Order: sequence, then structure tokens, then C-alpha cells
Amino acid sequence: MEGLRSITRKLDLQHYVVYLGFLAIFAFFAITLSGDGFLTTRNLSNIVLQTAPATIMAIGFVFVLSAGEIDLSFGSITAVSALAGAVVMQDFPMVIGIAAGLGAGLAIGFFNGLLVAYLRLPSFLVTLATLGLFAGLARSMTNLRSIPVINDAFTGFFGSGALFGIPSLILWTLGAVIIGHLIYRETRFGAHVIATGDNPGAARVSGIKVPRIRLAVLMISGGCAGLAGLLYAGRLQAAKYTLGESDLMTVIAAVIVGGTALNGGKGSVVGALVGSLLMGMLNNGLILMGLSVSDQMIVRGLIILIAVAISLRDTGR
Amino acid sequence: MKFKNLIATASIMAALMGTTAHAETVGPMGEAATPSTTIQVSDDKVAELKAGGYKAALLWHDQSDFVNAVTLGATDEFKRLGIEVVATTSAGFDAAKQRSDIETALAKKPNIILSLPLDPVTSAAAFKEAKADGVKLVFLSNLPKGYQHPEDYAAIVTDDLFQMGKQAADALAEAIGGKGTVGWIFHDATYYVTNQRDNAFKTTIENDYPDIKIVSEQGISDPARAEEIANAMLLKNPDLSGIYVTWAGPAEGVLAALRANGNKTTKIVTLDLSEPIALDMVGGGSVAAIIADEAYELGRAMAAAGARALVGEETPPFVVAPAITVKTENVADGWMQSLKRAAPDSVLSATK
Amino acid sequence: MTDQQSHRRPVLELQNVHKAFAGLVAVEDFSLDLHAGEIVALVGDNGAGKSTLVKMISGVHAPTSGTIRLDGEDVSFADASVARSRGIEVVYQDLALADQQPVYMNMFLGREAVRGPLHLLDRKTMIEQTQTLVDELDVRIPSARAIIRDLSGGQRQGVAIARATRWAKKLILLDEPTAALGVAETDKVEKIITTLKERDIAILIISHSLDQVFRLSDRICVLRRGVQIGVRETAATDKNEIVSMITGVS
Repeated sequence: MEGLRSITRKLDLQHYVVYLGFLAIFAFFAITLSGDGFLTTRNLSNIVLQTAPATIMAIGFVFVLSAGEIDLSFGSITAVSALAGAVVMQDFPMVIGIAAGLGAGLAIGFFNGLLVAYLRLPSFLVTLATLGLFAGLARSMTNLRSIPVINDAFTGFFGSGALFGIPSLILWTLGAVIIGHLIYRETRFGAHVIATGDNPGAARVSGIKVPRIRLAVLMISGGCAGLAGLLYAGRLQAAKYTLGESDLMTVIAAVIVGGTALNGGKGSVVGALVGSLLMGMLNNGLILMGLSVSDQMIVRGLIILIAVAISLRDTGR
Repeated sequence: MKFKNLIATASIMAALMGTTAHAETVGPMGEAATPSTTIQVSDDKVAELKAGGYKAALLWHDQSDFVNAVTLGATDEFKRLGIEVVATTSAGFDAAKQRSDIETALAKKPNIILSLPLDPVTSAAAFKEAKADGVKLVFLSNLPKGYQHPEDYAAIVTDDLFQMGKQAADALAEAIGGKGTVGWIFHDATYYVTNQRDNAFKTTIENDYPDIKIVSEQGISDPARAEEIANAMLLKNPDLSGIYVTWAGPAEGVLAALRANGNKTTKIVTLDLSEPIALDMVGGGSVAAIIADEAYELGRAMAAAGARALVGEETPPFVVAPAITVKTENVADGWMQSLKRAAPDSVLSATK
Repeated sequence: MTDQQSHRRPVLELQNVHKAFAGLVAVEDFSLDLHAGEIVALVGDNGAGKSTLVKMISGVHAPTSGTIRLDGEDVSFADASVARSRGIEVVYQDLALADQQPVYMNMFLGREAVRGPLHLLDRKTMIEQTQTLVDELDVRIPSARAIIRDLSGGQRQGVAIARATRWAKKLILLDEPTAALGVAETDKVEKIITTLKERDIAILIISHSLDQVFRLSDRICVLRRGVQIGVRETAATDKNEIVSMITGVS
């Protein structure tokens, strides 16, 4: 009883929007594409697999936005992490490759965070600059070449493997969402992140170490981008400088549609997951409908516009 | 270390090309080229294909005029063969998106996939599932690493890249009267298509035109910087007879530089059709010729190769579509032949 | 200790407190005792040094010279959180509430209750304690789960004061608690402040409204351009005297 009440309380109105929108679009595709393989297990699981890296980036982005900051650089971090992992794994075992990939993400997040938290530079400008900086680094690291990943343990762990019949990418997504949700909603740290984004002055006088929170959220974003990079590398069995580059808009749309406020103080990790799945489902369904590429872009843009308009109107901003 | 090897390999290849009397485009694995016009589906097979209710997916790397023309060529040929195109995608040069596109398209169970694999390494894993499903794969320009003909794929189809570069050299030589100095603006990136074309131009000038000297070489990676690069080149070599520009985008910048300098004598050749470049050419400006590929024919040949593989006919591993030299006198025909649509009105009315 | 002679030792003692910013004197030589259960009003024109005083007491600024004693013990707060841990709470003019969060999360902002080995937020406890407190203080809000943004100005100030009450062990500093409120809401907030006296907490209030000062305070302390002009028992003075002390015109 209490559990049910607390669940309904946590899901306030704009959360329903993303769930209802998700269900409506799902139902639409299920009906119109029933003969085109949309509802097959393979296709539905593909949607989750394909969105796994974006979902994990989106979780990091929820933390950053909630704290009133922004991270535009996570796409570049994804590429650098994937390449770092792939290059290291050419000569070293998997564990060191994973450490290199995640370490690269955390280190770049730390760098962003130092500039934002302690030099008080606006995160928009800092990460706009580091977006270019690390995109360039990703290109020069391997001179634009793709690096193959031939470590079977790694590609299984992060890409094609499965546990009890569940693909590893789905497990990574679930794990990241559960842990992200717990930290965001159920810990003091999460509460401090949200308070910092809502009213940094109030957070400061309440004893919250605001700079430390800002540093932490940018590191979380970097770490999530690093993990996303490893997932990409596992899935493609290779790393390339373009990985993550085109995810910025998808992730922003997923997070906003999922009920996270652009200017901080409010967010949802579960909403970001559903938003990300919604984006993936749109890509998938529109391709299966046989639309031309330009028409796919137009329809996707319109649907995102409607979804964002509804979810923002309901938050009253 | 590895990068050095790459350069070494590239220069060896360039040297080999230079010394071969009849250099031509070779496949990624050194396959000999088969002209695209020989890839045809015979009438009796057309009936068989029509009865089969087959499906095809077009999974491109990006969107462009070129891709549109290839798509049109492929779609027209598929229509003739009664094959339905069930999905069209663009990966926007994103290897991860291309992988997702392939998976998604497979839900429609296509029998043929036409695609430009973004790069050999990442696409090897991406196309694995399609290969396992028995889909006939026809690739444009690139080949996933380790794929074998004919068990893994039906054919690679590409432009006759060497011909494009060579014809650019021939056209520029003709425009400047077979002698003088030229500038060479090449694409400064590891990209098979442009590298092949650029090198073919250089090789042809060096081997076939002893009275023409390449006096300035300038790499370009960002088309937006073309004007600056051309300005610098003209400053150092004010009496250049001609300039080769790697493709039409940067050529527009080079043209702007010539105009700004009041230079009416230096001739330009470039590759790929573009309205502003063609306008300058038909108006008697600096542009001497544009070398175009037959993108529509490329698409047709891809579709035909896939269809042939489907009905168990042989397909050559490496197919090339011809190049066309477009000048003022053949601009209308050339446009139609390349992109299968009329040249822009502005260009056509300027020729009258 | 001289104060040991008095019946009740003051909660807070300020002795010859002096503050200068880069040579510019903000507070000259200020001394004041605050006792539990007492409301002292600090009045003065803009720039008189009231805010600087509040910041010194709450640990935001350290005094240039002079001593601050809390329960007879010399203190120097490294920052605001140290002062807060010693039981001093401030209700700021701009409320310092997180607008998009519920009342109970604001009540526990920065000091959230946790439970279990994973230290997860204990929302149940926070909500219960919040409800109890707002009921006691008669702060009328729809629910402890109400979002701050949906509350009126008076309700918000009520929440801010309730929060200070929840955490203050010794002293609450109120900085213009009703500046942004209408008449009815001011009345409500003043009622809440009056009930705080019963909790045996010392209260220092800054206000521009002399009417309010006379309604609420036991003593009035006047500052003018950083100089302490004097302290009066509220019952033994009148508005004219205080106004002339504030303005320097008699």
C-alpha cells in the first residue's frame, strides 16, 4: 500500500507524458508495422541494444543537467575512451583496456569539472571547447584509423555476449539505470545534485559543497561516456573517432523528453531510459516504414518537437 | 610506426601506378576492374526475379546528390526486376549508426543489401549478421575487412577513380595547351576515393605531359579553407596555368580566390558536378572542365549485381562505372548521364 | 567570567566586535548579549552594518577584532557550516529554498536523513518530522510533500523559519523575514516568530519595519554607519527615540 503510494507520488505528471508517448508510438508501430517484423523479439531487443550507449550517456547527462550544468563534450569522451580501450587492449589484457577506457572518461570529466567548479567558467563554454579539443584528440590518437578489438572476452562482455540468455548490452543498460536511479533519487548525494541545480545559493548556505557537486557530476558524465565508448567498441568490435559524435542531439532529446529540466533542479533517470528507448524506437520504426532518409528526419524531428513541447508544458516552464 | 608503414605503402602504390603503362582502378584486394555496362540481368532471369517477390535495402553512409543518384539508379533497376526496396537509411558517417541500421533493416528480411561500408574495420562486425542470414551484399567502394568473394559478398562497385583523375589531367592539359605550370590541391586525409583520384591526376601529368610541371602541392582537409589555400598558392605562383582541386566544394573557394585576384588566365579542373562551378564554366570563366562519375549507372550496376547473385549467376568481384568529362558543350548531356536528371536551369539557360 | 554572576548566562556574547573590509570599517565596536527566549531587533538604515553583523555571527565573515562567545566559550567559525553545527541558524532574505523540491527536502536540505547500510534517503522520517513541525508552528501548507514553487510567499517564509527552528539549538538570525510579504502574510509569519520564544531560543531579527520591531522584540539595538548607537528595552522606549537614534537627527 505504502509502496504503491510512493510509486505514484514519484511519477508526477511529466513522467506520464514520456510513458504515454512511448506507449502510443509503440502501439502505432505495432499496428502499422505488424507485418514488417517490428514486433519480433529480435527487432525489439535490437532497439534496446542499439540504444544502450546513448542510454548510459543520458544517465550521466541527467546528473549534469540536474546540477544546473551542461556537458556538450560527452560524445568526444566516448570516442577517446573507446579508442583508449581498443589501443591498450592490442597489447594488454581486457581489464587494463577497460580501466584505460573508463579512466580516460573520468579524467576528461575531471578536467571539465575542475574548470567549471573551481575556475567558475560556464560549463556550456568549457564543454563546447573540450568537445572540439577531444574530438581532435580522438582523431590524432590513431590518425583517423579504426582500431579493431579482437579480444573475445571484451567483445562478449561489452557487446555480443549474454548471461542467462539476456544480451550483455541489455544487462549493462539495466544495471546503469538501476544504479543511476538509486544514486539520483535515494542518496544524499543525489539530493545535493538536485538542490545545487535548483538553487545553488540555497545549497551553499545549507552546507552543500557546491563546487564538489559540480566536479562530481561532470566526472559522472565523463565516466558514463567512457562506459558508452566501451560498449560501442564491444558492439562494433572496433573503435573509431566518430563513435558518440552524433549522439549529442539524441541524448539531449531523450533526457528532456524524459522529464529532466534543462536548467536544473529536476530530473529522472528512468525517464531518460524511456526517452532514449523512444528515440531508438522512432529510428527503427521509421526505417521499417520504408520512408526515405529525408522523410525519416522530418518525421522524427516533428515527433521530438511535440514530445518536448508536451513534457515542458507540463512542468510549467 | 604504423602510420609510417601506411605512408610507405601508399607511396609504393603510387609508384607502381606511375610506372604501369595502362594504369587503372584496382579493387581493395587488387582485383581487376570489370566495366559496369557488362553487369546486366538477362530477360529470362527478370521473369524469375519478378516471381520471387524479393526485397532489397539501401543502407548508405550519408546523404548527398551522389547518393541520391545512386539510389535512383538502384531503385529504377530494382523496379524493373520486380524487387521491392523496403528500407533506405543514412548513417551520417557514424559507424555505430550504420551497425544499427543494418540490424533494423534485417527485420524486414531483405534479400539484397546495397551499402557503402563506412570503413573496413568497423563494418566487418556490422555486416556479419546480414552475411549469416544469407543476404546478397553489394558494396559501394569499400570492403569489410576479411570478406571473401563470392561467398561473403556479391560485388564491390565503384567509380573508375583512376579514370576520373586521369581525365581531369587530360582536360586541364588541353585547356592550357599542353604546357605550363599547375597547382595540385589534394584531399589531405586517408580516404580511398579522393586519394585515388588525386594521385591519378598527378601520375598522369607527370607521365603523359612532360611540358607541364606541378609547381605547387597543397593538401586540404577543411573545404572552408580552400580560398585561403588558393590565395597563398597564387601569391607564390602568380602565373599558374591551371589548378586541380580535389572536389567541387573546395573548388568554389578556389574560384572565389581567382575572382578576388582578378585572375582570368588560370584554369581550374575539379571533380563532381556542382551548380556554381558549372555556371562559371558555361559563362566562360576559369573552370575548364568538371569530371563527373556515372552515379546513376553505379546504382543500376549495384542492383543488377545483387539480382544476378540472387538467381545464382556469376558476379565479378570488382565493378567500375565510367567517368565523364563535362565541358560547356556537353553540360546538359553530361548532367543527365551522371545524375539522371536535367542540369540546373541556371546552367542550361547560360549555355543558350 | 563576569557573566557567571547573572542568573542566566547569555547564549551569545559579542564583545568589541570590529570588522573592516580592506581598511573600510563596516562595523565599529559592537557589543551585545543575547539570552535564550529573547528577541532582539537590529535596526538601522541601509549600509549601517546589519548584514555584516549577521554574517559574522553566522560564520560567513570572521571579525577583524573582538570576541564572539557561544555559551560562554570563545568561538571562531571557519565557515557557515561550523556555525550551523553549533546551533546557529539563519533565515535569509532570499529564503534560500530550493523551489522545485518538496517542503520536506527543503527542511532537511544538506542534512538529509538516511537509513540502512546503504545510507539511502529516509523520506518517511523526513516527511513525518516536517509534518509535526509545521503543525506545531502552525505553518499552514497543503502537505509536507508540497513543492515550494506552489506555495505563497508567506508559506515559503513559514517553511524557512520552520527549517531554522528544526535545526537551531541556540540562536536564529532572521534577516528581513517579512520584507516581501503582504499584510495578512506578515501577520502570520509574526505569529510563528512569537511562538519561537517559547522554545528557549535566542532570536536576532533585522527589520525595516519599526511597527514590527515593536510588536516582536524585547530589546532594540540601533546601528548607524557601523557605529553601535545604543540598546533599548522595547517596553521602555518609543518610536521617536529609535527613529532619532537611527537617523542621528533629534
